[in-house]
Amino acid sequence: MIPLPFYLLLAAALFCIGLFGALARRNAIAILMGIELMLNAVNINLIAFWRYIQPAAPTWDLAGQIFALFVITLAAAEAAIALALVIAIYRSRDTVNVEEVDLMKW
Amino acid sequence: MSTDLVLTYVGFFMMGAIALIGAVLAVSQRNILRAALGLIVSFIGVAGIYFVLEAEFVGVVQILIYVGAITILILFAIMLTRGLMQGTTSGHNSQWLAAALLAMLLFAALALVALGTNWNVAATRVSSDLIPKIGAELMTTYVLPFEAVSLLLLAALVGAIVIARE
Amino acid sequence: MSLSVPDLNLRIIAPVLIVAISALVVLLGELVTSSAQKRGLGYASLVGLLAAGGAAMGLWDAHAVAFREMVRADNFGVFLTLTILAGAVLCILLSFDFTRAHRIETGEYYALILFSVTGMLLMVTAADLIIIFLALELLSLPLYILAAFKREDERSLEAGLKYFLLGAFSSAFFLYGIALVYGATGTTNLARIAASAPSEMLLIGAGLLLVGFAFKVALVPFHWWTPDVYEGAPTTITAFMSVAVKAAAFGAFLRAFLVALPALAMDWRVVLAIIAVLTMTLGNVAALLQANIKRMLAYSSIAHAGYILIALVAMGGAGVSAALFYLLAYTLTNLGAFGAVIALGEGERERLNVSDYGGLARMQPLLAAMLTVFMLSLAGFPPFAGFVGKFLIFGAAVQNGWAWLAVVGVLNSLVSVYFYLRPVVAMYMSEPVEGWGAPRVAPLVALALVLALIGVIALGVFPAPAIALAAGGLGR
Repeated sequence: MIPLPFYLLLAAALFCIGLFGALARRNAIAILMGIELMLNAVNINLIAFWRYIQPAAPTWDLAGQIFALFVITLAAAEAAIALALVIAIYRSRDTVNVEEVDLMKW
Repeated sequence: MSTDLVLTYVGFFMMGAIALIGAVLAVSQRNILRAALGLIVSFIGVAGIYFVLEAEFVGVVQILIYVGAITILILFAIMLTRGLMQGTTSGHNSQWLAAALLAMLLFAALALVALGTNWNVAATRVSSDLIPKIGAELMTTYVLPFEAVSLLLLAALVGAIVIARE
Repeated sequence: MSLSVPDLNLRIIAPVLIVAISALVVLLGELVTSSAQKRGLGYASLVGLLAAGGAAMGLWDAHAVAFREMVRADNFGVFLTLTILAGAVLCILLSFDFTRAHRIETGEYYALILFSVTGMLLMVTAADLIIIFLALELLSLPLYILAAFKREDERSLEAGLKYFLLGAFSSAFFLYGIALVYGATGTTNLARIAASAPSEMLLIGAGLLLVGFAFKVALVPFHWWTPDVYEGAPTTITAFMSVAVKAAAFGAFLRAFLVALPALAMDWRVVLAIIAVLTMTLGNVAALLQANIKRMLAYSSIAHAGYILIALVAMGGAGVSAALFYLLAYTLTNLGAFGAVIALGEGERERLNVSDYGGLARMQPLLAAMLTVFMLSLAGFPPFAGFVGKFLIFGAAVQNGWAWLAVVGVLNSLVSVYFYLRPVVAMYMSEPVEGWGAPRVAPLVALALVLALIGVIALGVFPAPAIALAAGGLGR
């Protein structure tokens, strides 16, 4: 089998690219895209650990896969809420001005 | 090296490269629509990684939900809120350099730990009847989180309707 | 294939179930009620919350686990469950007339609050990182919506979007932390994590978990979303978020670090102590500069998160019980303070500037006196709940060799007196401002204020029973 750290490095790289996107983007949708990449990185970790790591108890052997499924579900729920919020803001301002949302304002 | 292993390596590097290239496009493209397309590419690469890891079910779910649903939602959000054909830009904010430094620092830390740990690897074969087992586990051992997730989806559904309706 | 659920024990999650079912009932009720009947849905929510409280009391001393150790009933969880339910009841009492005045009176408003409470109760009962995470999301998603609930108000929508993006961002860190902990130990169960050997992977995983928690309870340097979100959200929701999210998130925070990572928590203590100092100081100093009372209370809530973190640094039984008592005291006091702000509103207008409070002592002597009590309690004056809470926390710190941290906490409390007393001074010393009539307080708002007041004074004068309950203990 491929050594486990290969997968972990891939996940870490994906997470950090997503982190950069989430922190450096102006547009709310672009920030969400960065966050989705971070969630994907989490899932790569979970699936790799599921495949490689001996579970602490034999009854927990599917924990990684099932947790990954929950994360995917959550990502879908979050995307729905994001779409609703973005549309509501668009309507109330009657403009495409989602970029005004500057998250780092003190 | 057996052919199986060679194939696994080829699959890993191909899919990993697709995932990373897509991700870089998604966070760097000024045109938000192109960024979203990069995101789709990245999701497909990640699904490929799941297949390499022999988690076929999660791989299929990844394609169905991430590629099929989440990116569609994101594309909807983009198209509903801006003139599509104008190629509107979405740049980076003023602290992108700090963000890049932070991301690289975190990567270095995560990489050091991943490489430095002596992994107690158990190379178990994946059983063939995994999918029924996942279904059974969701309904037994994981029934509580399963129900929690269903409530979460319901709350998200109600919330999205409340906010987005006329 | 025969399926059977292991360790099925619905009694342990009875409070969670009752609130979840109430949420569904209210949601269905929305469909069959006319707009004049929405108030009834609020009453239904209250019934559900009180029933859940009754079920939670039945779990006192139950000490049991269920669903393959995914949830655990211990007195720690029951105490926090009751604290959260008390906060939710007060929030709903405050909501009846507020939602009508602000034209957001719908069944979904109450249903989403109940969904959020479901997540909070599950979170303080959880004994597994998977459940903690899902509960965290279940409590957060409805709050993103509720923050944006006043859709015609741009600031409310922006608060919702900002809260959502920051919440989703912090969730990603939290999840990455869980994934690394899972990789390092082969499990997500808190007790099993404690039994596994410490490693660097576990350390960095715990660090990422810490980042996730720090976002949720607004610790420096992950606090900057708080003022904008608290200012933009409807005031009832701000009140609810400021107390109930803190109680739930600190509950899971304490449990995760003290049960699963006790050895690592020792290593993290210095870091946590520094974060506590920064959080208290920044929260209090920034609160000094605010003219808007919602922003001021937002920074004040950051400062209070810092005080509670001192209890976590102190650790041991004294630290845990001090944190629990403080969370209860803070819940009642802060809801009281926000309740007074809500009570003083006129239609859709709210008294958001400190100067708006001029002369209120003459127009509304009772309400002015109540707001004064809540502000004094927040500042930590005896004989109110806030004083006892601070006394317990600083005492636990001194007892466990963190005297300097207690000194910093006391100094911070002194600074905070200045801004907490500003509205009080305005009420008693300034002339009334033009354009505001004499406020009329709705009966249910008055009821909420009186309940909070009784709690704040009772906890301050007779703290012993509550302290004894808070010392009930954390099951391992």
